[in-house]
Amino acid sequence: MKATDNQIKNLERVEKKTTGIRPVRWLREKTRRVPALGWLLGALTATIIESSVGLPLARAFGLWSVPGLFGLRFIFTSPASIPSAVIYVLVVYIIPALIVAVSTAGITNRAAAFMQDKLPVPINVIIHAALLYATLHVWGSITDYRVLLLSFIFISIMLTLSLNLVNGYMGEFSCSHPGFMSIGAYAASIMTVLFFVNDDVFGAHILSPVLGPFIFPIILIVGGFITSIGALAVAIPSFRTRGDYLAIISLAFTFIVKSLLENLEIIGGPRGFMNQPKYASLPVIFVWMVLCIWTIYNFTRSTLGKASCAVRDNETGADAMTINTRRTKMITFLFAAFWAGVAGGLFAHVMGYINPATFGVLKLSEVLAMVYLGGLNSVLGSIAGAIGLQFLLELLRPLAMLKWIVIPVLLIIVMIRRPTGLIAFTEIKVEDILKPRN
Amino acid sequence: MPLLEVKNLTIYFGGLRAVHNYNVTFEPGQVRGLIGPNGAGKTTTFNMITGIHRPTSGEIIFEGQNIVGMMPHDIASMGIARTFQNMRLWRHMTVMEHIKLAMYSKIEYGLIGAFFGTPKRHKQETEFDEKAYHFLKLLNVDRYTNQVVTGLPYGVQRRVEMARALAIVPKILLLDEPTAGMNPEEMLDMVEVIRQIKDELKLTIFLIEHRMRVVMDLCEIIQTLDFGEIIAEGTPDEIRNNERVIEAYLGKEVEV
Amino acid sequence: MSLNAFLQNLANALQWGSFYALIALGYSMVYGILMLFNFAHGDIFMVGAYIGLFVSTSLVTLSATGILPMAGWLILVLTIFISMFLTSFVGMAVERVAYRPLRAAPRASAAITGLMVGIILETGNLALLGAQRRKFPEIIAQSTFHIGQVVVTNTKILIIILSILLMIALHQFIRRTRWGMAMRAMAYDFVVVPLMGVSINRIAAMTFAIGSALAAAAGIFFGIAYPVLEPYMGLLIGWKAFVAAILGGRGSIVGAALAGFLLGFIEIFVAAIFPSTLRDLIAYSIILIILTIRPHGFFGEAYSARLRL
Repeated sequence: MKATDNQIKNLERVEKKTTGIRPVRWLREKTRRVPALGWLLGALTATIIESSVGLPLARAFGLWSVPGLFGLRFIFTSPASIPSAVIYVLVVYIIPALIVAVSTAGITNRAAAFMQDKLPVPINVIIHAALLYATLHVWGSITDYRVLLLSFIFISIMLTLSLNLVNGYMGEFSCSHPGFMSIGAYAASIMTVLFFVNDDVFGAHILSPVLGPFIFPIILIVGGFITSIGALAVAIPSFRTRGDYLAIISLAFTFIVKSLLENLEIIGGPRGFMNQPKYASLPVIFVWMVLCIWTIYNFTRSTLGKASCAVRDNETGADAMTINTRRTKMITFLFAAFWAGVAGGLFAHVMGYINPATFGVLKLSEVLAMVYLGGLNSVLGSIAGAIGLQFLLELLRPLAMLKWIVIPVLLIIVMIRRPTGLIAFTEIKVEDILKPRN
Repeated sequence: MPLLEVKNLTIYFGGLRAVHNYNVTFEPGQVRGLIGPNGAGKTTTFNMITGIHRPTSGEIIFEGQNIVGMMPHDIASMGIARTFQNMRLWRHMTVMEHIKLAMYSKIEYGLIGAFFGTPKRHKQETEFDEKAYHFLKLLNVDRYTNQVVTGLPYGVQRRVEMARALAIVPKILLLDEPTAGMNPEEMLDMVEVIRQIKDELKLTIFLIEHRMRVVMDLCEIIQTLDFGEIIAEGTPDEIRNNERVIEAYLGKEVEV
Repeated sequence: MSLNAFLQNLANALQWGSFYALIALGYSMVYGILMLFNFAHGDIFMVGAYIGLFVSTSLVTLSATGILPMAGWLILVLTIFISMFLTSFVGMAVERVAYRPLRAAPRASAAITGLMVGIILETGNLALLGAQRRKFPEIIAQSTFHIGQVVVTNTKILIIILSILLMIALHQFIRRTRWGMAMRAMAYDFVVVPLMGVSINRIAAMTFAIGSALAAAAGIFFGIAYPVLEPYMGLLIGWKAFVAAILGGRGSIVGAALAGFLLGFIEIFVAAIFPSTLRDLIAYSIILIILTIRPHGFFGEAYSARLRL
């Protein structure tokens, strides 16, 4: 049935192609042949243009500075600037990116083909990721605001993906992510402050602060493992029985962790914990995010990882087919907790300050919203959900409080239309994204 | 040595005695049937053998080892595969994934392989792919390889389930009403499939079936269960003419 | 702890527990009958409290200006009834918007829409009424009783008695009426109810209406006991009541009420013995331990359904 559906869709696509307006058709024909590499090159060019002549151009179009988010926020702040912003976006981003992407399609296709044939997939991915990072770095170099936004988006992607492992791939409902995040954040913070900072409570630094950035990855990993161990407190009682158990236990867990942190005076209690060195710079977070996506992508595509989907769809059936259901649940849950912990550690070292109130019900709602907006059981969905919601939050910032009405309403509509999220149960092979398209 | 030996198997649910003193012995290659009216305890017997229910008393000895109390997945890995009356397929997974997941116990690449996609993992996953394809071909469902099982025709789903059970590479295959809910055409098809498995793979098969015709066709020895107890055991002909069996079925289906 | 101190705390705990119990009933009914987590329920409690605030303020003003002089008890009774009535419509609206369209969808999705409705209610309140806290009017004059050396206020006794009466009423409703029977049938089997000629939508609406009405009562009682209301009051109490509802066991009215009171006791006595900052920590830890020992709560039967995809 699916096959015929696809065929019908293809037919429709063909029809549209032949009936479309001519320039559009021409453009579609051209852009269809651009591989991921070409688009990255185009985007990089656009950001380079912006970083070198963005400001004068913006001024020339009647804007007083480079629009932070493609001018999207003008919708709420100053609608009069929208035409200027549109021109700016066209001139700076869209036209150069299109020109470069389309004109280099021949070369980039050959390069993509070469990389696909001659290089192992991880190397190929690294090259693309590096190019993507370069683009984002140049884009972020304009304002600190963009850097911070990107940092939060990267961290959100990690959180969303890891929660999707539990709520999507494993089909349980976990509310423990704020708890995990806070464990990771506090664990990593304590280590960095203890080792590398002169602090009132933790005393002088033990190791040379110069070593800090190099030891930081180890600290994050240790923080992740501590979070996994903490996750056992949820996993052991929950996975003994079936039912809505995990939802309640994990919720209680989140509140217990929060309350515990509020009562530990040595790490600041309710006032919070500060003085973390800001090791989590944009490239550092990016690398961790790529690592997170890569491992979760790999895991969910392996038979070992897919076992958790089998447990979700039918536990008795899975058990009868040699799948160790308990072990599978444990692995998936602790793996998710690990990445939530690492994300928490990064979060603490972006902000340089954390407090227990951050890791409450609001954080939970936010992460859940990203998972269900993007779509269950889909790596791509989670990435899209995290970026989408984070972007929406920024975009609607001028609405102040009202954004907390707009976003929930949007999400309710999405849930009613697509109860498992926008891009649920779709998996795209990374090879298919990177492949040449001629 | 018999492949599977079940001795005095008894189970109580609360105060209710579901199966009482059930015995069976399988020689390798044997095909046995288990029949009986609804609620006679057939599926419960399967569930005990495969570890889903723990018997109140009795022994289940598989290749010389008592497997009572072991986890279902361990029992399955030892070589006891089964199908379910209601199939229990994984509704979001493709046909290929179903077969590969049944090879779970043979995964050697471990967590490192799963997380980082090591060459070892790719080698083994490719191996699984090939093996899985073999089973799909065997059951003639290879053209559905990459389709999600939900939405496939009922008969195909049944075959997929059978292929999944075979992918465990079992020594004994327990089939729980494989023709349940099928129309006569699909049923004949399924009988052929089972016969084919029996002949080609020389598998030992234990079959629960409602339809006399299927059991009589396939099995060498048939047991009849009523209210949790064996009331008759023998060749198809013996069972056909056994008065207690006819009584238990109220003479309804036996005339087939 | 002396006996007097104990009795004093007991009275406080009964009052505090009755809030939890009343809210937990709403969670428990929705969970028991529809198998849904109504994450918006804490905020319905908040809305109920605010509706109570406006109803009572208007009634008090009407009475004080001499347009319609009323005795304090009459105002109280009217406030409770009117607010419960109005809030039940809020509950039904929530059901209509966030739950009914998702009846066929995975339950987890409904949990998300519930969560979102909760946020909308909080923010809506904030947007309409501003962030400042509101004072609940004094409907009946406070007076204190001395029983031995224990001091109790009249409102405290009133709240405890009224709460228990409401719970008994609910219990009787579920046990004795046709509607109650349909609800129990639905809790037992989702499929058979439509066959009995009862519409699922009707029962669902009714479940939400009753739960919300009880939450409104809890809100008013809360306003009388602690006369400061703020938009986020539902978060703190609501989530705890939710956990209490689960502790009581799926769909068990008695269980949810008892668990609510138990939670009240734990919190009041923890605060009496330890520093009060440890309250949440100890309360949730005890709940976690109880749930580990008794996975299905006090009165719950084993259930195997879960938030399915």
